[in-house]
Amino acid sequence: MRERRETMSETSTGIGTSNGHGATGTPMFQIENLHASIEDKEILKGVDLTIGQGEVHALMGPNGSGKSTLAYVIAGHPSYEVTEGSVKFFGEDILEWSPEERAQKGLFLAFQYPTVIPGVSMANFLRMAVTNVRNARAEAEVAAGGEAKPMTPREFRRLMKEKMAMLKMDDAFATRYLNEGFSGGEKKRAEILQMALLEPRMAVLDETDSGLDIDALKVVSEGVNALAGPGMGVLLITHYQRLLNFIKPQHVHIMMAGRVVQSGGPELAHELEAKGYEGLRAQVGAAV
Amino acid sequence: MSATTIDTMAALTGFSREAVEELSRLKGEPNWVRQQRLAAWAVYEALPFPQRTDEEWRRTDLRALKLDRLRPFQGFGLDGHVPAALADPTDAAATVTAGDLNAGVVVQQDARTLRTEIAPEAAAQGVIFTDLDTAFRDHGDLIRQHFMTKAVPSDFGKFEALHAALWQGGSFLYVPAGVTVELPFRAFVRATEAGGSVFSHTLAVLEEGAEAFLVDAYGSPSLDGQGFTSAVVEHVLAADAKLRYVQVQDWGRNVWSFMTERSLLADDATLNSLHVTLGARFSKSSIAARLQGKNSLAEMLGIYFGDGDQFFDHHTWQLHESPYTTSDLEFKGALKGSARSVYSGLIKVSEGAQKTDAYQQNRNLVLSRTARADSIPNLEIGANDVRCTHGATISQVEEEHLFYLQARGVPRTEAQKLIVEGFFRPVIDRIPVEEIQGFLESAIARKVGI
Ligand SMILES: Nc1ncnc2c1ncn2[C@@H]1O[C@H](COP(=O)(O)OP(=O)(O)OP(=O)(O)O)[C@@H](O)[C@H]1O
Ligand SMILES: [Mg+2]
Repeated sequence: MRERRETMSETSTGIGTSNGHGATGTPMFQIENLHASIEDKEILKGVDLTIGQGEVHALMGPNGSGKSTLAYVIAGHPSYEVTEGSVKFFGEDILEWSPEERAQKGLFLAFQYPTVIPGVSMANFLRMAVTNVRNARAEAEVAAGGEAKPMTPREFRRLMKEKMAMLKMDDAFATRYLNEGFSGGEKKRAEILQMALLEPRMAVLDETDSGLDIDALKVVSEGVNALAGPGMGVLLITHYQRLLNFIKPQHVHIMMAGRVVQSGGPELAHELEAKGYEGLRAQVGAAV
Repeated sequence: MSATTIDTMAALTGFSREAVEELSRLKGEPNWVRQQRLAAWAVYEALPFPQRTDEEWRRTDLRALKLDRLRPFQGFGLDGHVPAALADPTDAAATVTAGDLNAGVVVQQDARTLRTEIAPEAAAQGVIFTDLDTAFRDHGDLIRQHFMTKAVPSDFGKFEALHAALWQGGSFLYVPAGVTVELPFRAFVRATEAGGSVFSHTLAVLEEGAEAFLVDAYGSPSLDGQGFTSAVVEHVLAADAKLRYVQVQDWGRNVWSFMTERSLLADDATLNSLHVTLGARFSKSSIAARLQGKNSLAEMLGIYFGDGDQFFDHHTWQLHESPYTTSDLEFKGALKGSARSVYSGLIKVSEGAQKTDAYQQNRNLVLSRTARADSIPNLEIGANDVRCTHGATISQVEEEHLFYLQARGVPRTEAQKLIVEGFFRPVIDRIPVEEIQGFLESAIARKVGI
């Protein structure tokens, strides 16, 4: 058991070492030996994963393997308890940060199941989110000797309109209550709209492709691709190779039973599509 | 009046026949008004104090209310300046009343009227908007016809009888047939002294096809020592009349507030009411719409937000007494600190009131572990072809909602504020008056921040 884990962590660290370093030599995003539980049940059992600046990684794995749990833990969901390991963002340990602090520092999670919040209009919510994230960023820039540029309400409205147009969302969404009555696909689009407005440095997209029709998939992928690049790294959680035709990952990881059990290049996703998880299950052990 | 008289009155505590006589004398009232007060006093004395065995008072603890220590009225000696709080934007009630655009204004401070104004265009159409003393003096016939005779008769209950004996001010709105006034009439009632009582009365009479918008705002600073207020609100809507009514209760935290409101609706009449309860230590509102004429409609909205040790009690009645009547009630409240609230609502459909359409919804958001809300919806249906829907919920802010907003960079406290505001939003959106919407938004934000 222990032996196997060492091999595997070597694999993922290997990726980090070869590709994952930012300009400073520190990887942008690094998860090491992460263990997390919910209600005393351990779900994550030693996750290792490193993402370099501007890289796109895909995370695949069977239902219930812990992908969303990982996403929640990264975002700081209070129901999960981290019992071991670390998550570093530009070298800083994020696990002590509140969820809002993580978002303000440039982490973003597109939820697998976005929450409906009655009575809170999209526009109001987005303005609040953008203001908070921008203010935090401006403060950091001033602290670093840069210049802060607050956004006027008018600039915000223009930006929101522009991003909604890019995602082919009707203006009417702005006045609707947050996710209330949104179709599955509309919710996913709204998640990407939020990402586009917040301009994170690292985005975790949890099954953003599920529920999207083929045209919407294209539109949303274009939205992601427009931001992905040197400025934003992506962890793409998905079940389907289809998404990876639109958003091309440099690395693919497979999660099983709370650990990353295999990592490789884009070909790994094709392999999975053809063979499923059965072979892999046998390979990594009956326990999985 | 002499300074000696004022001193005597200041020393007089507890309610008594003498106090009623003295009030009437100080006001220089004609005999019929004095007799009316004394008759009501006799009713007050004859009626028992509400007991907790009475259904309406079951959840209401009156033991801490010390009526015998209160002055029955106060404030005759003040000079006629407008209270500074009218210009103070932090005073929620004042904000509503101080809007620039009015069809008329009545300002009452303690037992005294400080200001009455009516827009000349409205007055020219025969509209009356004035303080109640003036109304008794100049419009006796209308008063004799409507004042505590039909909507809230003076023998309605213990506190109403006391009110009929000791009423001191308030406003009278009369809109003649066919006249529409769009701008709001605003009445502002303010109390300035602890240990005193305020009995303000609102009487709105809309003749056939008349339309008006009336705002009542009650407010006082929080003082040491108990305060007491017993208000009565009467709306009499003739056929096809339309009244929009907004009431904001923002009494100081020392006040025990009682309010009884009855609206009578004739054929095709429409009432749109909103009750906003923010202040007082103890607040009991009894609100009813009697749909007496066919096709009449009552929309009854309520917003309450309690904090600290506030206690709010709202009782509502949707009384369908004729066929084809519609009522639509939505009361929403938030409670924090160790605030408590009771909502109890009855939809009653009389025999023969076929095709009634009644809706009642009460939702509560409990923001702390020590706050509590109770909701008791009731139906009493005496006709067979009706549609009645009611529902009640008591919930907390969901952790998932907070987390979602936080995950977008919104700090937890602000996220909480957004969610609470969102909880009230559907009610706010139902009031098509921007000024009131703005007022509600800031009142809620202020409450969340306390
Ligand atoms: N509150 C909870 N209590 C107990 N178990 C939980 C709780 N929340 C999640 N789990 C369990 O944790 C495991 C991992 O769930 P997770 O949502 O992370 O899976 P996933 O890989 O995202 O699956 P899917 O592909 O279906 O989205 C599952 O077995 C799930 O039942
Ligand atoms: Mg999942």
